[in-house]
Parts: sequence; C-alpha cells; structure tokens
Amino acid sequence: MKMDVHPQPALVPYVRGQLGADESEAVRLHLEGCAACRAEAASLLATWEEVSVRIEELPQPEWIAYRSELRRKLDARHFSRRRRWVFGLASLTAAGAAAVAALLLAVRSPTHALPPVEELALEQQLGSNDLGLLRDYPVVERLDLLENYDVIEHLNELSPAPSEQHGSRS
Amino acid sequence: MAELPDEELCSRVAARDNSAFEALVERYQLRAYRLAYSVLGSEADARDVSQDAFIKLFESAGKFGGRSQFSTWFYRIVVNSCIDHKRRHRWWSKFVPLRGSLPEGEESGVEPVSSEPGPEAEAMLRETSSKLAAAFVHLSPNQRTAVLLQVQDGLSSREIAEVLSCSESTARVHIHRGLAALKKLLKRDQ
Repeated sequence: MKMDVHPQPALVPYVRGQLGADESEAVRLHLEGCAACRAEAASLLATWEEVSVRIEELPQPEWIAYRSELRRKLDARHFSRRRRWVFGLASLTAAGAAAVAALLLAVRSPTHALPPVEELALEQQLGSNDLGLLRDYPVVERLDLLENYDVIEHLNELSPAPSEQHGSRS
Repeated sequence: MAELPDEELCSRVAARDNSAFEALVERYQLRAYRLAYSVLGSEADARDVSQDAFIKLFESAGKFGGRSQFSTWFYRIVVNSCIDHKRRHRWWSKFVPLRGSLPEGEESGVEPVSSEPGPEAEAMLRETSSKLAAAFVHLSPNQRTAVLLQVQDGLSSREIAEVLSCSESTARVHIHRGLAALKKLLKRDQ
C-alpha cells in the first residue's frame, strides 16, 4: 500500500533493511513517486556511513587500565558486602545470645522455687501418719496415763528440792 | 570462551565464572563506554558509569531472562546507570545553574536539535578534537544514543526503543532527527 505522507522516520530503517515486509514495500512505493524522499534517503545513508567511520574518532580509555580498575571496584564492592554480612551475622548472634540469657534468668528465678519431688512425698507420708494418730486418740491418751503412772511409781527416787540440797552443803 | 555467544557467557557469569565475565567485558567495553559517553558527554563519567554497568551485569546476570538480545538488555543497564548518575549529580545544578540545561523529562520523548549545548555537551566539546564529538554536542542525549546504537551496533528501531524506554516511532524520530542534524553539522565543518 502506497503512503500518502512522507515516511521520513522510516527512511533510515528502510535503507538499513530493518523494516517488515509490508512497511518496506509501502516505503518503496512511496519513494518511487517522491524525489524529495529519495534524495533524503540517499543523504541519510551517506551520513550514516560517514558517522560509522567517524565513530572511531570518539575518545577511548586505555583498556588494560580500565579493566584492572573495574576488577578493583568489583573486589572492593564484594569485600564491603561480605564485611556487612559478617557484621550483620555477629549482631544477630549477639542479640540471640542476649535473648537466651534473659530467658534463662527468668526461668531460674528463686521467687517460685518448687520443692523437690522426694520432699513432697515425705511430707505427704508424715501428714498421713499424724492423721493416723488422731484417728487412734483414745489409745494415745492411755499411753499418756501410763507414762504418768511410771512417774508416780518412781516418786521416791526423785532428787531432793534445791533448797534442801543447799542446806546440807552448808 | 571468546567464541561463545553473549547469552551463554551471561549464564556463566550468573554462575560466577570470572573468565566469562572478563570475556564479556572485553567484548562490550568499547560499546558500553561509547554509549555512556554519548549520554553523559564526559570521558571520566563515561568510564565510571560504564564500569558500574559491568558491576551491575556481574551481580544481576542471573536476571537475564533471554526474552530480548543480551546486547539490548545490557545497554538498558548502561542507560539506566547513566540516568542514575545524572540524577545523583542533578542537585549540583540547583546551586550552579548551567547554560542550556536539559528540560524536565528529557529522558523520554522527542527533543529538537539543540542550538545551545547542555552541560554534558559542553564537557564533550572541551574534551575532544573529534568532529563527530563536536557535532554530537548539538544533539540531545536521546538522539546521540539512538544514532550511536543504530550505527555502532546496527540495532533496529524496536531494539533502540527498548533501550531508551520509548515507543518505536519515537526511536525512529530520534534516529532520523539525529542523523539529519549530523548531516548538516558534518558538512558545515568540512
């Protein structure tokens, strides 16, 4: 299909063979009937070729020095990144250790110390023994009486009163 | 290593193969440097920024998905590095206004051929005796980049559009206006 407008922006891609088949054909048909665009296309191609030669005149660095500088920059960047990583890891470890220490202190606090299991069992056993004595209270009462009888029976063996002892010494 | 295609070298760089990286650097150093020079207009900046682009390539080689050509993908990294560099140094122009400073949003869209060279163009003019560099001064950074990629690498307008993040028709206009301006400028200097 022939173009009605001048396809100037498409001229460089056209002369460089970078247009699709349909668009290339449309530009070709336009150029057949447009002397101005033909001249423009030829002139742009000539400029393109001149620029492709003159581009070599653009300044260039010394490439060996350029590459060694690049290597130094890359190494420095990786070193600083590794250092940041190690520092971050050390900070994380220190924070973790502090948290664990705080947790241990909280768990081992003496305010809520619990008795060992053996002590609990003994206390329980003694408690049950006391309860057994209370249950047999009449027997215990009689034992007390027997104890008193024993004292009465040995009254004559009692030691003299303190004043009596004092008088005999003098 | 030298005969391997770019894409293969890139996948080896992703696996931290230093010799593949060195091969890619040797293959692209001149083109990356010229591309950065065409955008920034300063040899020192072009050197720094193109090296930064290679470092980014080393670090992000694994992200190359192969949807486009390696060269297009890498040139996009170079152009982005140039844009980052210009943004970082833009604060300075607030204190020292430069003649012919580029308008806002100059990274995209069609720009007319500049009769007043911008700061990077002035630097370019100071640093070189090359006729092409002297003529480049009067082109916008997008036009310089589009012409360079078209002439140096033979990229199509679609690929140039991908590198410049613009439409294909805009890329064609950049190429056409850039070459039309160079035609006049190079003829004038002869």
